[in-house]
Amino acid sequence: VREPERLASFVLGTCRMVVLEIRRGTRRREALLAAYRPAEEAVDAPEAAALDAEKLAGCLEALAERERSVLVHTFFAEQSADEVASALALTAGNVRVIRHRALARLRGCMEGEGP
Amino acid sequence: MSAPACTGPIEFAALVAYWMGELPPAEEAPLEEHLLGCAHCAQNLAALAAIGSAIRGAVRTGRVDAMISAPLLERMKKEGLRLCEYRIPAGGSVNCTLRADEDGVVGRMQAALAGVKRLDVVQVIEAQGEKSSQRLEDIPFDPAAGEVLHFPSAAAMRKMPPTTIRMRLIAVEESGEQALGEYTFVHTPS
Repeated sequence: VREPERLASFVLGTCRMVVLEIRRGTRRREALLAAYRPAEEAVDAPEAAALDAEKLAGCLEALAERERSVLVHTFFAEQSADEVASALALTAGNVRVIRHRALARLRGCMEGEGP
Repeated sequence: MSAPACTGPIEFAALVAYWMGELPPAEEAPLEEHLLGCAHCAQNLAALAAIGSAIRGAVRTGRVDAMISAPLLERMKKEGLRLCEYRIPAGGSVNCTLRADEDGVVGRMQAALAGVKRLDVVQVIEAQGEKSSQRLEDIPFDPAAGEVLHFPSAAAMRKMPPTTIRMRLIAVEESGEQALGEYTFVHTPS
């Protein structure tokens, strides 16, 4: 889909969600291209490499229940703050705060010595 | 290497909002333009993508123990995860086994949650004559759902000897605590 926004204007109801998925996918690919271009030039770009699965599991475990749950909803189900809020009966603003704090703690844990 | 200096780096929270498709279109274009020219922000986005992908992997391989929701459970099943669900009433007990051809289990603890503001879970684990307990504080839940969904780590379960796990749901109020129910999972290795 080259012009997903334009396509979206033609599609109503539930089809809109499908288009949104395509749109997200397209943008992510574009963003990834943008993201990895400089990383390829870098001599050592540890963050571009796959993360240590065991360490990540330990760092996830060290988070608060809410933080872990919000991250799993966010990244496994690719849910926006609004969608996570609806699934867990929180406000979208609250989800953004939890998500931000959780990611900061997770990155700190992954970049440090782990849990 | 001589990456151009990054003027006005994008805040990480904005990168997350962008990645999740939450930004209005008018804010996306300048952000993407910035990413193309700024190695620092592009690497932050790459780090975010790596974390997201690793979390997905951790869920798929059963390395995560988390409270989930019915919509997330549906999504997991849609993505091909083979999950055994145990719906259990308050005071109930269920025998559970994680078979080799299953990716995980989900405990669906039925509870009257209307009006509950904060929920804790006391988890008592008994195996081989040893008993341990931990309190999971302030777990996420949807009061309207009438159930709490627990997705335990399949990787941890596969290492378990015969184990009895009791989950006690506790509503925490200003005036005190109220037990909502106890749910017993009797796990047998497959």
